[in-house]
Amino acid sequence: MRVPFEWLCELAGVGAPVDQVAQRLTDAGFEVAEIHRAGEHWDRVVVGEVVRIDPHPNADRLNLPTVTTGESELQVVCGAWNFNVGDKIAFAHEGARLWDAYSDEPRLKELKPTKIRGVVSRGMLCSNRELGLSDDHEGILILEPDAPVGRPLTEILGDEVIEFELKANRPDALSVLGIAREAAALFGADVRSPIPPARAGDGEPWPTVELEIDDPALCARYSAAFVRDVQVAESPAWLRKRLELAGMRPINTIVDVTNYVMLETGQPLHAFDWETIRGGLIGVRTARPGERLVTLDGQDRELTGETLCIVDGEGPVALAGVMGGLATEVTDATSTVLLESATFDPVSIRRTAHRLALRSEASRRFEKGLPPELTEPALRRCVQFIEEIGAGCGEFLSADAYPAPSRPEPVALHFDRIERLMGLAYERAEVRRALEALAFTVTESGDLLHVQPPFWRRDVTTPADVVEEVARLLGYDRIPNTLPTGGVTDVVPGELDPRDDELRDVMIGLGFTECVTYALTSEARLARLVSPDLLDADSDTPLGDAETWEVIHGSAMNDAGRALTDRLLPLHREPLQIRNPLSSDESTLRLTGLATMLETLRANRRHTDRDLLLFECQPTFLPREDDLPDEPLLLTAVIGERLSAGRWDETATVELPFVRGIVDEVLARSGVDLSTVSHDEVVHPTFAAGQAAAATQGRLALAAYGAIEPAVAAAYDLDERAWALLVDVGALREASAGPPSFTAWSEYPAALRDLAVVVDEGVTQAEVLETIQRAGRPLLASVRMFDEYRGEQIAAGKRSLAYALSYAAPDRTLTDKQADKAHNRVVRALQHRLGAELRG
Amino acid sequence: MHERIDELLAEARAELSQAGSDAALEAWRVAHLGRRSALTGILRSIRDLPSEERRAAGQAANAARQALEEALAAHRDRLSRPADETGADVTMPGYPVRLGRLHPLTRTLREIRAVFAPLGFRAVSGPEVEWDRYNFELLNIPADHPARDMWDTFHLQQQARPGDLLLRTHTSPVQARVMEQVRPPVRVIVPGKVYRYENRDASHESEFMQVEGLAIDERITMADLRGTLTHFVRAMFGPDRDLRIRASYFPFTEPSAEAEMSCHACDGSGCSVCGGSGWIEILGAGMVHPTVLANVGYDPEVYQGFAFGMGVERIAMLKYGVTDIRSFYRNDLRFLRQFH
Repeated sequence: MRVPFEWLCELAGVGAPVDQVAQRLTDAGFEVAEIHRAGEHWDRVVVGEVVRIDPHPNADRLNLPTVTTGESELQVVCGAWNFNVGDKIAFAHEGARLWDAYSDEPRLKELKPTKIRGVVSRGMLCSNRELGLSDDHEGILILEPDAPVGRPLTEILGDEVIEFELKANRPDALSVLGIAREAAALFGADVRSPIPPARAGDGEPWPTVELEIDDPALCARYSAAFVRDVQVAESPAWLRKRLELAGMRPINTIVDVTNYVMLETGQPLHAFDWETIRGGLIGVRTARPGERLVTLDGQDRELTGETLCIVDGEGPVALAGVMGGLATEVTDATSTVLLESATFDPVSIRRTAHRLALRSEASRRFEKGLPPELTEPALRRCVQFIEEIGAGCGEFLSADAYPAPSRPEPVALHFDRIERLMGLAYERAEVRRALEALAFTVTESGDLLHVQPPFWRRDVTTPADVVEEVARLLGYDRIPNTLPTGGVTDVVPGELDPRDDELRDVMIGLGFTECVTYALTSEARLARLVSPDLLDADSDTPLGDAETWEVIHGSAMNDAGRALTDRLLPLHREPLQIRNPLSSDESTLRLTGLATMLETLRANRRHTDRDLLLFECQPTFLPREDDLPDEPLLLTAVIGERLSAGRWDETATVELPFVRGIVDEVLARSGVDLSTVSHDEVVHPTFAAGQAAAATQGRLALAAYGAIEPAVAAAYDLDERAWALLVDVGALREASAGPPSFTAWSEYPAALRDLAVVVDEGVTQAEVLETIQRAGRPLLASVRMFDEYRGEQIAAGKRSLAYALSYAAPDRTLTDKQADKAHNRVVRALQHRLGAELRG
Repeated sequence: MHERIDELLAEARAELSQAGSDAALEAWRVAHLGRRSALTGILRSIRDLPSEERRAAGQAANAARQALEEALAAHRDRLSRPADETGADVTMPGYPVRLGRLHPLTRTLREIRAVFAPLGFRAVSGPEVEWDRYNFELLNIPADHPARDMWDTFHLQQQARPGDLLLRTHTSPVQARVMEQVRPPVRVIVPGKVYRYENRDASHESEFMQVEGLAIDERITMADLRGTLTHFVRAMFGPDRDLRIRASYFPFTEPSAEAEMSCHACDGSGCSVCGGSGWIEILGAGMVHPTVLANVGYDPEVYQGFAFGMGVERIAMLKYGVTDIRSFYRNDLRFLRQFH
């Protein structure tokens, strides 16, 4: 809300400078967003009078007005034509600083002596925009005829305007009077109310109007006043200036006064042309089926049953509290006006204004809930004002419907409640003074305070509200600094798991940099995770239909792939949709972090060619029937193709065992016993064939990892291999064996044996390893694979795997014979179970 | 005798360091350890010494012979190594080491948690998709209340019982969730992602992080709130920071306050960081509204306490001099790598 400072001071009776007033009000909760100073830069702008207008010799679109400033006559080159000889204008001398009318950004520019098409211009006639008064740059600003020639422009147009960012709880503050009350209380001044006292009728015959309120819950009060002998004209300059400073456009006397009184008192008023009201009746009710209304903006609107309307004897004439109707608008021909000053239900007005996207100065005030006591004083002020400017004469109150009068309830509180809440002892007298300065009535009975709020403070209903009034008026800077004493809770549900921090630290140690990507994405972006030849490219929901998934399920996945899809990459689920997305790219909640992480990988690949190891640990969103979605925490990591290795510029290419090493470390550091985890090949449309695996513990899918399918990588504009690792953090916690527990190792020297076996390609490393581990019990202390070989020295279709085995007993040194015996058992088991041949 | 041995040793060592080839080494060996060398001569002459001197002289001469043999072996070894290993250029750059970085928001969140943990505040989380009831109604923001305009909300398309689903606009719903499940005393902080239907620019994000704080007991006061927040800004931004609070409005607190800290960039004298005012808005806070307490089943006549909420990006921007809030979500390594 924009409040002209001069207007504020006039009502508040405060003489302090604008910065001080703004600071005190801000501290008390009336936040000042900005102080606009019209005329701040006008030190070389004066009132001038046009004495002659000559044509420009070289340009038809320009003219050459000569302006007198009293002291001298100056000729300028001008492109505007909206002035005549004798007009008073704002004249800028050379050196004046004016707002650049042709810049998009607000920018001050110094006026320099200049020659335009061969003629010297000795100054400038200013537009509103150049003066910073408004955005208007259609022609120059014409001043009032009585503007004194030669005087600085600041004397007639300068003002300071405070722009407030007001809070939702104070409808009374949406008025100059409301803010003036606060300012007066803060500065110990007396409010000068602009409301005239009631007066008796003048004995003249007045028209009468019948008022009908359908539902007092929707319209608590409707007051009306007649004005006759109406002169609809342009308002006086000072009135137009105040409206403009407050951000409203002047229209005509009647409309301007209703707007002025709304700005001043907070009560919206509406003026009907009485001649257009049918049946001598004004009613307030919700719209009936099929009713329509052409509103002031010329739109023909169909009214829904929820819309609160003002009706006359035949039908709707206005949208209550939101916008008037075109047919009943005040025009130059209007002679009798009916002024409306009413209290409408805030919720109803809010809904209508939202539904029709019509949020006006009036509806903003009604939405916050206005006091019914305000309608009548505002009418008085309005009628008196109209009379003052000679725009008509009226009755202060012609009709008033107020079916169920109510007043704010008094609030009772114990005096010590204030100290208990604030942690600060106040004097009883100062508490009383503070509340009375804000127009509360205070009566004391013993320790109990009865506080009666004034009618405009319906927001004060509880003891805490009263405490806040006292505290903010006496200043929050008095509150001391203490720390809470007393107990703390032991266990809180939903507590952050410190292991999530550790998991992040493990990833950092493994070389990954943490990212945080957006949770909002789109189905199209998610669909890029599936090889495009499996998708229906024309569909709006490429992943959404069951048929697509049937194809993918049936032909493009194995069991491990399906298990991965179900938990870690649930692309077949329908994602949660946003009803009001900012853009189509951000219209759904993500089902996986992989899509945004691949996008991030791509963005970084543009400037970095190696060591792209990125991860994030954020929730995903899986819909559930009639419940909040499941939000499992997922670790998503992506890896670029090349890594630094060895010396300065040497690099290595990522291979599956590199990613497996990371998976093992993440699992081990999370307390998972790696011997309980199995790794199986995954066939899945997101991953490259033969280059992906899933890690499971029993039925728990812990992680999936591997190379991204080249067609999918290409969809992300990556022209090299990319790798990914997905970990279900919740499953990781379930799979953990708990805190570490120590196991002793043998202190006796171990017997070391190496072993190389040739096996068919169909035999997995895991099978070989498991056979070794089983047959080696109980003396096999450790086993480590150290080589894989395919090539000339062994038959086609086979490969060689080499292991280093270590045998030890807990209580003695093994003899060679004992170690050999154990080792032979291992060899025989490999031969027997896997058809392995011993090599070399 | 002993002096003579020391002289021989020094002489031999000096010569050895000059020997640059195998031939030179052999010549040196013949000269200093050979049958005609001075040292061999000394060893031979020992038997002519009086018996009481023989033992000491023998030991000294043999030790010298052993020292020269070792020096020869070491020098031969040095000569046999390739030229570039003879001495490292210690100014060579190190080989690449891969170590990642925490996201600056995670880093900032951890710092914030570390400030509040010793005061007994436990960190809890809650769902990012919320019921209207938790995000608004329980927090004293009924449907159609004008205060709803303070939070531009993303609504979900899906219909569900028992109410509307939305993306939480603040971490405050977790206040209600915690209080519903725990009896006072309560002290928690709630870090987490929140969402606003708002176009992005350098200072606005539609997804961002907040930290909520809540302390409820029988005697927790506004002064405790102020003291806690003062402690916080000093722990985060240095011991010289001052905190000032001014009146504000939030539907779930009464009295409500806006907290500002004296600018850490100019110490309060006014600069571009604080827009010339010397003060920086840092968070919103207040005493939990009695209606909110009653909504979660606490007796507002018995229990009271404070709540506060801050934007994590804002804290991180102030602390690290980041000027565009969107940087946190672009995840550019050139940005992320700066947060060591």
